[in-house]
Amino acid sequence: MKIFFHIWWREVSAYFRTSMAYVTGFFFLAVAGFGFWNATARWAQAPSPGHFANGLFGSVWYWLAMLVVTPLLAMRLFAEENRTGTLETLLAAPVTETTIVLAKFASAFSLFLLLWAPTLAYGFLLRHCGAQYPAMPWGWVAAGYFGTALVGAFFLAIALFCSLWTRHQMAAAMAGLGALGILLALGFIPVHASGIWSCVAQAAAPTRHMQDFAAGIVDTRHLIWYVSATALVLFMTIRVLEARRLR
Amino acid sequence: MGEGHLAISVENLKRRFPGCDALGGVSFALPRGAIGALLGPNGSGKTTLLRVLAGVLAPTSGHAIVAGQDVTQQSLEARRRIGYLSETAPLYLEMRVGEYLTFRGGLYGLSGSHLAKRLRTVLELCQLGDVQRRVIGLLSRGFRQRVALAACFLHEPDVLLLDEPTGALDPAQAQACRNILRTRSPSQTVLFSTHSIRDAEQLAQHLLILNAGRVAAWSSPADLIQSMRAADPGSPVAHSPLEAAYLQLTAPPVMVRDPTTSGQPS
Repeated sequence: MKIFFHIWWREVSAYFRTSMAYVTGFFFLAVAGFGFWNATARWAQAPSPGHFANGLFGSVWYWLAMLVVTPLLAMRLFAEENRTGTLETLLAAPVTETTIVLAKFASAFSLFLLLWAPTLAYGFLLRHCGAQYPAMPWGWVAAGYFGTALVGAFFLAIALFCSLWTRHQMAAAMAGLGALGILLALGFIPVHASGIWSCVAQAAAPTRHMQDFAAGIVDTRHLIWYVSATALVLFMTIRVLEARRLR
Repeated sequence: MGEGHLAISVENLKRRFPGCDALGGVSFALPRGAIGALLGPNGSGKTTLLRVLAGVLAPTSGHAIVAGQDVTQQSLEARRRIGYLSETAPLYLEMRVGEYLTFRGGLYGLSGSHLAKRLRTVLELCQLGDVQRRVIGLLSRGFRQRVALAACFLHEPDVLLLDEPTGALDPAQAQACRNILRTRSPSQTVLFSTHSIRDAEQLAQHLLILNAGRVAAWSSPADLIQSMRAADPGSPVAHSPLEAAYLQLTAPPVMVRDPTTSGQPS
């Protein structure tokens, strides 16, 4: 466990040693801020809790931030180690592949949560803005944040997996972006479409899950889906890393 | 001599990559406290052998025991007792020297006052005291090599596996590196690969010459020179008897044209 935190801390501090954390943070807060402004404007016109939560957690701006930020956070984690050869140093140390993968994932997830933390101020900002806004739907917003954490963990696991296959950060980011783009596209399959693939697509589409979270619904099925899917992708990453010794 | 005296024991070690056999049944043993040099032309399997012994690569077949641990069956325990320097000496360039060494120490379970004491020792050993607060990426190649070497010594490993430790260093830096290896703890065993016959002559008590993934010779430098002189007095032109022996052992097979065929070498 001590070694896990050791690697985790190195990875987290590496974000801040380079421009990565600042560039990603700037992009994220710009997009999230615009999404908040948009949600607030819509909420002022039609003041229902659904309008506000959906504007925050289901808008195009929300998905743009999720789609771009998660590959940016994960792209460096293995690709850079592959490029510089430092992965060999880690593999020669008495550290299991599971510890390496989980520590790297935890570092990216920590930064993801850190990026979202300033957006908690949005609610307090509105509360003190005056009487023109109705009461903040805190339950809906809390469920939205919970869903965001689940979706973010899954997206980061996919992007981390992509990072393992290449020596180039940009290639890792593009692969992650492509994989997550396909996942998001599942949400655009019409609800009335029939067939097994349509059912699978609808069940796996993050956009549909976030509609529930943004409506204040924490569905156990969604929870199980994200926890198990994230665990599966991380497991695959560990196995691919283990297979490096055999290659 | 029993197995307990051996720091490295390798038996019929094979490593296959798609399309080539990098190691084709390597066997040798290195006693505790000894320095062994690994010589051979490019592509002879030196780096692959060191990577297998360091636990970075799994062998296709055969056995390797390093510091009393099987590198396949007891990989974690073996890796705890090994200090491995890979060919390119990779480092986290954005970190400071002291931070990097602290990180590396942590990977091997060092912490607190013990880590601080070991840090002082290796910084002094590798003469890095003046640059310990410098960012690694801003250091010269020679200093980076020393940082990588210091990281290998940090956890007091029983066995040091060094892939071309003096490879990209200027003569003064290479001499400093040789001095570091000489001043190591007498109980530490070193196996290093090199293209420098001089390094092998100056440092090693045992020579392992690889050619095309197979052991061409395994003996002390003196024995090797003697046996090669006895076998073939007309050795190739070389700067030293050891170099002559090396050139003989690693010479490519002579291609003879058969005039009765269409000129294909036979």
